[in-house]
Amino acid sequence: MSSIPHDHVAGHDHAHDHRPSGIARWLTTTNHKDIGTMYLIFSFAMFLVGGCMALTIRAELFQPGLQVVHPEFFNSMTTLHGLIMVFGAIMPAAVGFANWMIPMLIGAPDMAFARMNNWSFWLLPPAAILLVTSLFVPGGAAAAGWTLYPPLTIQAGMGTDLTIFAVHIMGASSIMGSINIITTILNLRAPGMTLMKMPMFCWTWLITAYLLIAVMPVLAGAVTMLLTDRHFGTSFFNAAGGGDPVLFQHIFWFFGHPEVYIIILPAFGIISEIIPVFSRKPLFGYASMVYATAGIAILSFIVWAHHMFTTGMPLAGTLFFMYATMLIAVPTGVKVFNWLATMWKGAMTFETPMLFAVGFLFLFTMGGFTGLVLAIMPIDVQLQDTYYVVAHFHYVMVAGSLFAFFSGAYYWLPKWTGTMYDEKIGQLHFWTSFVTFNITFFPMHFLGLAGMPRRIPDYAQQFADWNLVASVGAFGFGLSQLIFLWAVIKCATGSGAKAPAKPWEGGTSLEWTLPSPAPYHTFETPPVVK
Amino acid sequence: MTADPSRTPDDRARLRAANLRTAWVLATIAAVFFAGIIASKFLGTPSTAISVMGAAVLLFLVVAIGRNLRR
Repeated sequence: MSSIPHDHVAGHDHAHDHRPSGIARWLTTTNHKDIGTMYLIFSFAMFLVGGCMALTIRAELFQPGLQVVHPEFFNSMTTLHGLIMVFGAIMPAAVGFANWMIPMLIGAPDMAFARMNNWSFWLLPPAAILLVTSLFVPGGAAAAGWTLYPPLTIQAGMGTDLTIFAVHIMGASSIMGSINIITTILNLRAPGMTLMKMPMFCWTWLITAYLLIAVMPVLAGAVTMLLTDRHFGTSFFNAAGGGDPVLFQHIFWFFGHPEVYIIILPAFGIISEIIPVFSRKPLFGYASMVYATAGIAILSFIVWAHHMFTTGMPLAGTLFFMYATMLIAVPTGVKVFNWLATMWKGAMTFETPMLFAVGFLFLFTMGGFTGLVLAIMPIDVQLQDTYYVVAHFHYVMVAGSLFAFFSGAYYWLPKWTGTMYDEKIGQLHFWTSFVTFNITFFPMHFLGLAGMPRRIPDYAQQFADWNLVASVGAFGFGLSQLIFLWAVIKCATGSGAKAPAKPWEGGTSLEWTLPSPAPYHTFETPPVVK
Repeated sequence: MTADPSRTPDDRARLRAANLRTAWVLATIAAVFFAGIIASKFLGTPSTAISVMGAAVLLFLVVAIGRNLRR
């Protein structure tokens, strides 16, 4: 690997703002802005693919009985929907924001390892192709759920092998991306920018990157063992050979629970950038936000078994994981309190980024509360694998991460494209998303409490009404996302008002010192931070 | 370390070396975790070995984040 020399001490010269053109630009680019753009486009494309799978699921569940797809295909849909949304949509979107914004927020000219950055991105499309084409191989795609639990994954067809390879490739991409982000933040900050002066988005990504380095190899190890169990006669998880399938669950969730925070911490960072700007106040309790982020990250490693209460474990273990899970509410509560305190008596305005941020705050907190409910072991035993769990994690993942990413996209689109987004379209996108999201997922709480199990293509008549409502909401939510595409295309094609260098009067971070759109090469002379 | 506009060639070499050092340390840690989680199953008492691996991962996180918090 090679690190960028970062040695252009001459001032930024727009005459040298040249870039390669055509397809070669995108294949060979080492520019953090190009790579960030590719990550964001890729993640939105995967979001649409995963969304179509979700709509297939909701179409089947529109009414009781089997009418749209075969049960095996339905299982593949739930599995691929989860894998694609987590690894193909949300994580690459977060990395896309990191690529675009971290160098500009810390005053660096680019990422530390520009060529590795290109490689990190270009690993993703082959992984996505492996995942999607697994639908067409004999035996069909993996159908054991995104958690890939054995023994189903040991017995399934070659679609599972393609999924395992895809997970390996995406994991390698994530690790390379994390190394790049950590190195960039630690070594390439502008003079005067100490770590405790960094924008919160950089802090949350620094900690997220450490989490990725810690857990991605664990997931890679787990799926490698699955692969050898399938093809090389080992018995890590194969009970017939003396292996332990529950061990896979432990290893998977040792990765899987921190993964939840890998997904949500960058979203926290975006929200922490946006709420102060639209409240015209500095972020309340910056240091406590940093410590809360670190606290969440560390606690996320000691709670994994709350996903496994029904597998049976000693009472002491159950109590430990129950209380440790509840403990995470403390640093998370600190963050929610600080965002509210930032808004308190602020001169707030509600442009689209702020609407999505407030929507995030409201809905993510709801998702957090249902998480606390599920942390209580006696309740979890009742609600395990019901639609209550589905509602909970969609409130966290969709209303949490996705709303934050929409918020960030509207916030930085003027800087990325040089064109202001259409505020009416943005507001339409927010309100349709907010309403249809709740129509889709709020009834799932009722379904779960009534006992409807997840991952089934058919259900009892008593669940029909709320399923119908959820399916109508899901199609509305899916269509709402095309509004976002419309807003972005308008910006990207320059159809709108020209964006000033600093479109938001409350913006104080370094990216607003650059012209809009941000020049191809920025901060070749590092700014000095006072 | 932060970027510095008055950097000399020596400084640039130092920055490049620091970048590579950081990257190799992180890559090595990732490789050890990957190999360790598999190797721990082959040791005499797998549950103990996996606990040690888990503790190592947690310790890495505490130390890595803790070091930065002090700056």
